[in-house]
Amino acid sequence: MSPDRREVSLRVNGADRRVTVEPRQSLADTLREDLSLTGTHVACEQGACGACTVLVDGASVRSCLMFAVQAEGCEVTTVEGLASDPEELHPLQRAFTENHALQCGFCTPGFLLAAYELLAARRGPDEREIRTALAGNLCRCTGYQGIVAAVRQADEQWERDTPGPSSGER
Amino acid sequence: MGSRPPRVTSSGSALGARLTRREDPRLLVGAGRYLADVTVPGVTHACFVRSPHAHAAIVAVDSAAARALPGVRAVLTADDLPHRPLLDAVAVPDLRKTPQPALAAGRVRFAGEAVAVVLAESRAVAEDAADLVRVVYEQVPVLTDPEAARTERTTRLCDDLPTNVVYEGGREHGDVDAAFARAAHVLSGRFTTGRFVAAPMEGRGCLASYDRADDRLTVHSSTQSPHLLRRKLAACLDMPEGRIRVLVPDVGGGFGQKIPASPEEVAVALAARATGLPVKWVEDRRENITAAPHSKDQIIDMELAVAADGTFEAIRARILGDSGAYSYNSASTLIESYLSAGLLPGPYRIRDVAWQVTAVLTNKTPISAYRGVGWTASHSAREVLIDRAARLLGRDPVDLRRQNLVREFPHTSPTGMVYDSGSFVESLDTAAELIDYPGLRERQRVARETGRYIGIGVSPYVEPSGWGTEGAAQSSWSFSSHDSVRITMEPSAEVTVAVGTPSQGQGHATSLAQVVAEVLGVDPAEVTVLANDTAAVPMSTAGTRASRTAAVTGGALTLAAQDLRDKLAAIAAGLLDRDPGELVFADGHVHVRGDSGPALPLGALAQRAYFDPAVRAAVPEPDLVVTRFYDPPATYSNGCVMVAVEVDPWTGGVTVIDAAAVEDCGTMINPLIVEGQVLGAFAQGVGGALYEHIPFDADGLPLATSFADYLLPTAAEIPPVRLGHHCSPSPLTVNGVKGMGESGVISTPAAVANAVADALVPFGAEVDRTPLTPEYVAGLIGDPDRPQSSS
Repeated sequence: MSPDRREVSLRVNGADRRVTVEPRQSLADTLREDLSLTGTHVACEQGACGACTVLVDGASVRSCLMFAVQAEGCEVTTVEGLASDPEELHPLQRAFTENHALQCGFCTPGFLLAAYELLAARRGPDEREIRTALAGNLCRCTGYQGIVAAVRQADEQWERDTPGPSSGER
Repeated sequence: MGSRPPRVTSSGSALGARLTRREDPRLLVGAGRYLADVTVPGVTHACFVRSPHAHAAIVAVDSAAARALPGVRAVLTADDLPHRPLLDAVAVPDLRKTPQPALAAGRVRFAGEAVAVVLAESRAVAEDAADLVRVVYEQVPVLTDPEAARTERTTRLCDDLPTNVVYEGGREHGDVDAAFARAAHVLSGRFTTGRFVAAPMEGRGCLASYDRADDRLTVHSSTQSPHLLRRKLAACLDMPEGRIRVLVPDVGGGFGQKIPASPEEVAVALAARATGLPVKWVEDRRENITAAPHSKDQIIDMELAVAADGTFEAIRARILGDSGAYSYNSASTLIESYLSAGLLPGPYRIRDVAWQVTAVLTNKTPISAYRGVGWTASHSAREVLIDRAARLLGRDPVDLRRQNLVREFPHTSPTGMVYDSGSFVESLDTAAELIDYPGLRERQRVARETGRYIGIGVSPYVEPSGWGTEGAAQSSWSFSSHDSVRITMEPSAEVTVAVGTPSQGQGHATSLAQVVAEVLGVDPAEVTVLANDTAAVPMSTAGTRASRTAAVTGGALTLAAQDLRDKLAAIAAGLLDRDPGELVFADGHVHVRGDSGPALPLGALAQRAYFDPAVRAAVPEPDLVVTRFYDPPATYSNGCVMVAVEVDPWTGGVTVIDAAAVEDCGTMINPLIVEGQVLGAFAQGVGGALYEHIPFDADGLPLATSFADYLLPTAAEIPPVRLGHHCSPSPLTVNGVKGMGESGVISTPAAVANAVADALVPFGAEVDRTPLTPEYVAGLIGDPDRPQSSS
C-alpha cells in the first residue's frame, strides 16, 4: 500500500533475488513473505532470542533487526541454504537429529546458522566456547545439552577448509 | 488390556528403541510449517488493541482514524462481536466462576487485556491502525497484592462475586494437630514461588475462516488441545461442535500455555464470522509475556513436624494462589493452588497432612497451566523446609530424605494418591552417585576455606503422570479423559494412526509410531502419525497435557494395534491354512512359528484383505481399521534431581556448576525422547529458580515484557546434566508406561534453592522464594567478608 517502496537486489542461498519492500520491512519478513523462505522464524522481534538468525556475507545476523534494504548486494544464507532436501542433510543438521538437538524445531534454524558460523571459523571449539557462541540463541525445549553435543559431533564430521585451532592456546 | 488375550505374537524391537526422530529432517531443513507459515487466499491480519491499564472502565472507543487508514478492513470491539464468555469446566465444590469475554466489555481487569481487534491487509498495517484506536479509560483502584485482595470488599474484580476470593477450602487427613503437638521439632516458614510464563519459542496464534453458506468455521491454531478448542469455540460462538474444524500445524512449544482456548482465539473466530474474512493472528513476544497466561505464583506458609530420629510426622500448609484477573477457562485457577495441596507429601511417608487453599483475583494476567502446574510450588516449599530440618538435626540432607522416602508399593498418600510403583530410594542414590556427592562435599569444604561458596541441593520427586480420569481423581480433580484412536492399514501395508494429542515438540510422530510398530512387527518408519485435524482424528477431550500422551494415547494405540494384528492374523491363518496362534508378526511379514519357509509380506496380506473377496469366507469383515479407547488407571513417575551451585558472595550471582537427573517413568518408549524431556524440563526449572519472574508495579503494570527482562536461561547458564534411569513399569497401565516430562520443572527449583541455601550456611541465611536473583541472594549474604560461622 505504501507508495514508498524500494527495490532490493540480494543473493539468497546462491540465487540472485530482487524484491520490492517498504523501507521499514525487516529482512526476516522479506525472507518469509516475499521469498517464501519460512524456515527463518520470528520469535521475539527484538534481537533477544536468535530464532531469526541468518548469515549475511558469512556473519550471523538477527534478521528481525536488519532492514531488507540494508541487505542490498549482500549474500544471505538461510536454513534452506544449508540443505533443503530432508534426504540430504548437511553434517550439522545430521548431528542435530542424531543428538536430539531439537524438539519443537522453532529455534532450530537460528541455532544451525549460529553453529555454522562458529564451525566455519573454528575447528575444535570446547564445550565452554560452544556454549558461549550459542548463548545468543534461546531454546525452550532441549536444555541445550543435545545442541552442544551436536555441534561437537559436527565439528568432527563436517569436512571443511576451516583451519584448526591455533596452536599454543589449548 | 483388551477383552481377550492376544493369541498372536510379535517379535518387535521398536518399543524402547533409541530412535532418532521422524520429524527432525523436515524441521532441520526449514520445512516445518508453523502457524505463521499457514495462509489462505484473502487472509487479513489481526492486531489487538490492549489495555495499558490494570483496572479501568472503558468509557469510549474511537476507531475512526484507525478505520480510515489504507489497508484496514475492520476494527471490532466487544459490542460488534456478541458472544458467550469463556468459562472453566472444573467441578471442584465451592469454586466460583469468573466468565471471561473474548474482548473486554465495559471494563479491563489486567494490563494487556484485549479491548479491540484490528483487521488489515498486513500485520504491519494492523499494528499502525491499532495505535490509532483511541480508547478512553477511567481508572479504578488496582489490586496487585493477593493478601490485600483477599480481604478487600470494595474493589472487586468480578461484580457477581461478593469478594475477590474464587476458592477457599481445606482438608485434614489424619490428626495433624496431635502430630504437631508430639513432634520433637517443627519447622515452619513461608515460601513464595515466582510468576512464570511458559514462553514457548513460538507464541500463540490462529487463523480462522468462516464459510457462511455452510455455516462452517475452520480454525488453524497453535494449540495443544484441538478438541478442547473446538468445544470452547462452539460454546462461545453458539455453534454445533461438528461445524467447527480445528487444524494444528507444527507447534513451536506449548508447555501448558497452549492448553486453554484463549480469548484471542475466540475473538479471531468471532471476527472471521462477523466479517466473512479469513483472519490470522500471530502473537508477538510482548503479547506472549504480558497477555498469555502466566503460572505458579503461590505463597505457601508451611509447617513440617519431625520426630527426634528424623521421621517426617506431619505437614500442613496454607496456600495462597494469585489467580490474576480471571480464573482461566481451561482448568481454573485451581490448576495452581489446589493441585499444589494434593502433592504436599510428595515422595515421602508422611502420615498426617492438612491444607488450606485460597485463590484470589488480582489485576494481573490470569494464571493457567505451565509444566509442573501447581506442584512446583508445594514441592519447593516442602524441600526447603526439609533442608532446614536437616540442618537443625545435624543430618545429611540426602540421608534424611532417604530415611523418609516411600519404599513399598503401592503406597497410598494421605491426600489419596496411590503410587503404583517406583524407585524413590534408588533414584536418590543414583543421583548422588552420578554427581559424586561425597566428592562434592569435600570440594565444598575446601572451597569454603578459601572464601568460595559451593552448595549442593537434592530434590527427589514423584510426578502424577499419565493423567486419565483416575489419576485426576486422585488429585481431587475433575478431568475429562476421553481418548480414542484409530489405526488404519492401507493396501500397501503402510499404517496410519489418528490421534487427538498433537505434538508441540515431544516427538509423537516417532514415539507413537514405535508403539504401533512394536505390536505389528513393522518398521516404525512405516507408521504415520496423524494428529492435526479434528475432522480426521477421533476425540481427545483433553489433548496433549499432564504427561499423558505416552500412557493414554500410547496405550490406546497398543490396544488398537493388537486388534488389528488379530484381524490380520485371522486373514493370514485362512490363507496359510494355519492356526492364528502359530503366527508371528515380525519384519513386516507374517511368519509361521518354527517354519523357516517364506513368510507372508504384510503388503500382500493387506492386498488380499482389501481386494480378494475369497478372504471374506473366513473373515466376513476384513476391514483393516480399528478404533480403541483407553483411560488408564492412575500412575506416578518418580526420580531425583541434584545440583551443585557456586554463589558469588559479592554479586549474589548463582552458577549451577553440576547437575544430575534420574528419571523413572516406567517402560520407556524411546529413551532419547525421555532424556530430551528431562533435560528440557531441568533447564526450565533452573530458569524458574534463578531468573524467571514477572513482577508487577503498584499500578498493576508488568515489569517484564520482553526477553530482555524475562530471562530464559541460555546454553551458557545450563551445565551438562548427568542422566540416569530407573525403570519401574506400572503394574496397571498398558505396557507399564507411566508418562513423563514435567518433573524437571517440579523438582529443579527446589534443588537449586536448597543448593543456594547450602552454600550460604556460613552466612546463616535461609532462602524463602524463587527466583533467587543476584539482588535477593546478595541481600541474604549481607557482608561477604563476614560469614557467621565456618562450617
